[in-house]
Amino acid sequence: MSNVIREANWTVHWRLTESAGIGIYLADYRGRRVLWEGSLPYVTVDHQRAELDLPGESTDEPGEVHGPWWLPLGTRTLEGPVRMQSFRGGVELSAAFAAGPYRYTQLWRFHADGRMSPWLTILGPGVHDQHTYHPHWRFDFDLDSARRDVLECFEGERWRRVDREGWFPYSGEADERGYVWRQIDPASRAAIQIRPHARDDAELFAIRHHDGEWAPYSPRSTAGAQAFPAAYVGEEPLEGEDVTLWYVAHVHFDQSYPYTAGPWIKVDGLD
Amino acid sequence: MASSKKPGTAARAAKRKAKPKQRAGAAPHGATGASRTSRANRAGPASATTGESTAAGATGARTDPALFDPLTPGEAAEALRTLTEDRRLSAMAKVGRYRVVCCEPLVVKPPHDLAGQRLARVVVYDYAADRTVDACVNLDAGAVAHLELTSAQPMLSRDEEALAVSIASADERVRDKLALGDAPQATMHYWGRTAEDLAFARRSAAVVFGRGDGHASIVAVVDLLENMVTQVVPAERW
Repeated sequence: MSNVIREANWTVHWRLTESAGIGIYLADYRGRRVLWEGSLPYVTVDHQRAELDLPGESTDEPGEVHGPWWLPLGTRTLEGPVRMQSFRGGVELSAAFAAGPYRYTQLWRFHADGRMSPWLTILGPGVHDQHTYHPHWRFDFDLDSARRDVLECFEGERWRRVDREGWFPYSGEADERGYVWRQIDPASRAAIQIRPHARDDAELFAIRHHDGEWAPYSPRSTAGAQAFPAAYVGEEPLEGEDVTLWYVAHVHFDQSYPYTAGPWIKVDGLD
Repeated sequence: MASSKKPGTAARAAKRKAKPKQRAGAAPHGATGASRTSRANRAGPASATTGESTAAGATGARTDPALFDPLTPGEAAEALRTLTEDRRLSAMAKVGRYRVVCCEPLVVKPPHDLAGQRLARVVVYDYAADRTVDACVNLDAGAVAHLELTSAQPMLSRDEEALAVSIASADERVRDKLALGDAPQATMHYWGRTAEDLAFARRSAAVVFGRGDGHASIVAVVDLLENMVTQVVPAERW
């Protein structure tokens, strides 16, 4: 199977990575560059033992005595082939990953109307019921050019410009179409609109792109320090710079699994 | 099956810990310092330029998609050989207590000097120095273009996963707790939440044992620096 998709107004290259699932790169919509590279660098899992009602266990014991853990979604955990399938109005890539008690299906869906869906279906069951998944997506959007990008966040009933690197959680506020964050190319007024899943408890990290700050091969930075991507966040200005975005979801396991996490992304202004 | 996915108390607790604490738009708690340290060590490739892209479409129009192709076995071997021949890593190569975590193609955006070059990113964990080597090797030039030495913890290599399983499976405390049919299911990259946990600062793996149907029974934490099991925890108490 070719690793290039030319369908539904999209041209997308993809590859199976060692640890970041299916990665896509050099993605164009209607012949214009939208994305340099996008991937799912990791899915960490936290367990909350304190919530379990175990016989003989003191309720005074501190919870979460154990830290998070993760394992790479990639060549070593792939189950079956990467699939490319057309659907009405678009095309999608999918791959299943499995390791012990964890099962995932990663999706990249591309719609002819400019929507793009980087999703992850989480199938559980984990080592016990009380656990939370934290999938991390990384997007290096290049809307017509790498620089001159502007990031905006919907806050206080209007779009506000984001001046510096930072952490931007979804507070429940969104514009009339449900979008919460957007990256704009001022020259063309084209925009990447990002709408979180309402139940993802999502947050966005915006980081100025630096060569040498490539996607980390682990969320774990120095002991005692913030994990990635928070460890990359500083005070650097974003306006007019090349920006890397991280979308992080926090999904608590429950009996109604499977659950599909991830944002809706819409490309506007390239028609 | 109709229950809401609204997170419960436990989830909220986990999320609070996972998130930075400051308000939206501000740098997360501790992130500025971490970032300064990180950025100080992350000067970027030696030939980094300040203007990263100026022309519309500059990042795409001139980029050859083949640069993203998987490394051939020869390219991977060349990348690792070039790295271990670098004088800055002579001690690591001489002692030989390192694990290659990953070796993948890397593509740098125009107009960086390295754009258009065939590059490999090599990540190695050096047990002798307890540090991570994160390097960019220029295969066209046969040289290390970028070298970063940090105390970050990369994912486990396949060799480390296999070693952790081997250590855990041989441990008496683990064997005593295994039920009939239990076998290693997965090896997770694990780190402790607090300094009291040995795995807080030491390279560790957690081996999940269980049945083939996905049911987990035992979790064994393996310290990969000392090659020993440090915790054996029933899965339901993890």
